[in-house]
Amino acid sequence: MSDLAQRQRRIGRIAAAVLMAFAVFYGTFGLMIEYSFSSDPIGPRGFPAGLAVALFALGAWYWLVPGSTEEWPEQEGRIAALTFLVVSAACVLAMDWIGFVPAMLVLMTVIARLFGANWTLALVNGAGQALLWWLMFGPLLGGTLPKGPLGF
Amino acid sequence: MRKTLLFAALALTGLAGPALAQPAKTECLAGAKPGGGFDLTCRLAGNALHAAKLIKDPMAVSYMEGGVGAVAYNHVIGTRPGDGGLVIAASSGSALLIAQGKFGKHDENAVRWVGALGTDFGVVAVAPDSPIKTLKDLIAAFGKDPGAFPVGGGGAVGSQDWMKMAMIAKEAKVDPKKMRYAALEGGGAVTTALQGGHIKIASGDASEMINLHQQGKLRILAVMSDRRLAGAFKDIPTTYEQGYTIDWPIWRGLYVGPKVSDADYKWWVDTLTKLTKTDEFVKEREARGLFAFDSLGADFDKRVKADTAKFRALAKEAGL
Amino acid sequence: MSFDFLWQGMGVALMPQNLLIGLVGCFLGTIIGCLPAIGPINGIALLLPIAYTSGLPAESALILLAAVYYGAEYGGRISSILLNVPGDAGAVMTAVDGYPMARRGEAAKALAISGISSFYGGMIAVVAMTFLAVPLSLLAIKFGPAEYFVLMVFAFATLGSMVGHEPVKTLLGCVLGLMLTTIGLDATSGAYRFTFDQPELHDGIEFIILVIGLFSISEVLLMLESQVKGTLKPLAVTGSYPSWAEIRHIWWPSVRATAIGFTIGVLPGTGASVASAVSYTTEKRLSDKEGTFGKGDIRGLAAPEAANNAAATGAFVPMLTLGVPGSGTTAVMLGALMLYNIQPGPQLFVEQPKLVGGLIASMYIGNILLLIMNLPMVQLFARMLLMPNWILIPGITALSILGVYTAYSSVMSVLIMFGIGIVGYLLRKLGFDMAPIVLGFVLGKVMEVNFRNALALSGGEFGIFFSSTLSIILWIMAVAIVLVPIWLRRRQAARAAAGQTA
Repeated sequence: MSDLAQRQRRIGRIAAAVLMAFAVFYGTFGLMIEYSFSSDPIGPRGFPAGLAVALFALGAWYWLVPGSTEEWPEQEGRIAALTFLVVSAACVLAMDWIGFVPAMLVLMTVIARLFGANWTLALVNGAGQALLWWLMFGPLLGGTLPKGPLGF
Repeated sequence: MRKTLLFAALALTGLAGPALAQPAKTECLAGAKPGGGFDLTCRLAGNALHAAKLIKDPMAVSYMEGGVGAVAYNHVIGTRPGDGGLVIAASSGSALLIAQGKFGKHDENAVRWVGALGTDFGVVAVAPDSPIKTLKDLIAAFGKDPGAFPVGGGGAVGSQDWMKMAMIAKEAKVDPKKMRYAALEGGGAVTTALQGGHIKIASGDASEMINLHQQGKLRILAVMSDRRLAGAFKDIPTTYEQGYTIDWPIWRGLYVGPKVSDADYKWWVDTLTKLTKTDEFVKEREARGLFAFDSLGADFDKRVKADTAKFRALAKEAGL
Repeated sequence: MSFDFLWQGMGVALMPQNLLIGLVGCFLGTIIGCLPAIGPINGIALLLPIAYTSGLPAESALILLAAVYYGAEYGGRISSILLNVPGDAGAVMTAVDGYPMARRGEAAKALAISGISSFYGGMIAVVAMTFLAVPLSLLAIKFGPAEYFVLMVFAFATLGSMVGHEPVKTLLGCVLGLMLTTIGLDATSGAYRFTFDQPELHDGIEFIILVIGLFSISEVLLMLESQVKGTLKPLAVTGSYPSWAEIRHIWWPSVRATAIGFTIGVLPGTGASVASAVSYTTEKRLSDKEGTFGKGDIRGLAAPEAANNAAATGAFVPMLTLGVPGSGTTAVMLGALMLYNIQPGPQLFVEQPKLVGGLIASMYIGNILLLIMNLPMVQLFARMLLMPNWILIPGITALSILGVYTAYSSVMSVLIMFGIGIVGYLLRKLGFDMAPIVLGFVLGKVMEVNFRNALALSGGEFGIFFSSTLSIILWIMAVAIVLVPIWLRRRQAARAAAGQTA
């Protein structure tokens, strides 16, 4: 068996193990659902319990036949993905404090950079999009967007 | 007496003192999808306030869906506790959930209750060809064989629709847990299931059943109220009239955040007091199938707290 | 039955003001559908107050909102095909065959084919609505919890066709989708399941959050990866327009899908997403003999598009005749009618012939407008999606965040969306399809709730699932959809064998 196929097999098995562990976690919490009573004979725990068993069994099948996976990104790709996720989460969390437009300015600029724009273009794009979306969903459509100290 | 005094006091502050400042921007938060009961409350308040010229700009309505208002409740307490321009729609359903501890860690004392704008009432209905003609017939037949009467309501076990039927089951000496109860997706689904014969008893709200009653698509046996309602309901007997001292008003009202200043709170109570007396408001309220329910300021606060206490007792009795 | 309402309605719909409003609605709808993250329900929720406060009469407001709704079902396909990101919930299945076509350089053909099948679906459904609205509302009443459950069994039976060369991954995806539906308030017992004391989770994972996370965030991550590797190329709207033969080829798949979509649309509680899923899997089961579905088969593209348009139209039937919304979007429109003091119900056709007729007549006109807008002018909408990646992808991300934030005003929901996006990315890398997850999700709740409600009503007797003619018919259909394709394949194999020996 080739190296690549073997590596794919290993990754598939890790995924299967994670899914089986998740089935145990889900099933355990499913059986702990609190309720006083239900008007049907199945109750709120029945469906989750059945699904946990099904997921576990399918996970075991997956373990036995891991199949193929796509190629996983190299280090550079991993860093880019991580940057995108961390900056997105940080900007979303900061939105309520610093306001919608500043948070989006940062996020849009970073993503534009990740997709190959130079700093100038990225900043122009960031500022432009932040304002555009704010205008469209705020004043124009009358939605409520997070406000920061600057008022938008 | 207390109520009149309060109104007098409020009216005086409104007239004598310098006019209380209106918050710069008013906003009503509906803790659900557009189109539901909270949205209706917000639009009733917003449209009437604007029509009666009590606010300059139209009130903005925003939506925060989740847990039948629980997400909005926690959001207001946590993130916008002092926003004087923000009112949040609530209903007796909110009080019921608070009483059952389903609003998270906060109880009914965590916000400032402004006032009710109107009320609906619980009703029980059967199919038009049903041999059951009165609530008394229903309670007798239901008591004899609860299994023959599958019930449908627009909410889960413990919801308002379930509680209404639980109270009737108790009158019939049936354990509420023995009811064959299906939790359907809202009032429309309940009336459809009744017309299709999938359920024998429908538990719901007066406003969503009255049209079908008038068209002869179902028969309302009783309005769960202590007084006879007017208009389309003038020929429908109440639970009290039929000898059962159970009622289920479904009030719709507003609250503000816990840290809203006394001045802003007073402005809202004052403005709504004026509003509920205008013709514009009465027209808007009736258009939405709601009946008058005058309870504002401190009186409303007392009402909400009495309700949550009552609901806690009811839930305990029903074995929840 | 008289059709006076239709003739009166034509007069209303052809008034210059209403023609213009219909055109504006179709245009806005196409844009709303085309942009990922805003779908018809938030679009209409945002437009409703504007329409009401600007003093539009009831019939004009309804024409506008309806045009936005079915316009969005047309527009949703554009980003599904060009970006593999569904523009709205009903367009999820359109990406399955549409995106591979675009990859092959047949984007123009894919857009045209799906535009035509949308038109077939929309138009046939309006005709059906004109004739069947009142009789159909009687059928909807016949659906109780037991019948809904058997309908879901039928829907799952059509899923057999989704099992590809790695069946375990399809089944795993389906189970994961079903698991997601168990989060939140249990509709029967009122218990909170898997909410971990977070009120944001009380209503469970919203479909829109799932779809945006699974498709748009994971797509951004995949694009980022190819960007770093230097293999990311924007798609162009290239290739030839479809031939007459191809347009004829999609007629029967579209008609079948319209029948399925319209019926599902009429049933309250199920909408365009279920309709497109079931019609796709049914079509695949019936006509995928060469295994070309999922690789860019025009029938696989036409079926879900015809179905989601038919479902959007069908959803108006219970709303207008019973006052029960057939979908989330018609629920908002029902709210709009109430604002105008109009009580929907069977008497609406008699009492408000202008309103109902005007609405239905406007749908005939609207579908023609949309066909025109979506064939020659498709380049215009498509161009919005063909900007350089450093503009497009920040835009998709912003719209994803906004789509969730404006609907739920909650940072937590946005973070959940990103979390789902990461899981979706990992699963896609592992060779999982997203479609089974979505199918499990859309069908799961309806299935569990109705199964338990039926048993609650029968007192635990399983006989309730076989107690009506309707449920028996549905059982037979479910068995048939599994067995007929097997039988067809056998017969074909036998014929081929006979041919060889002869």
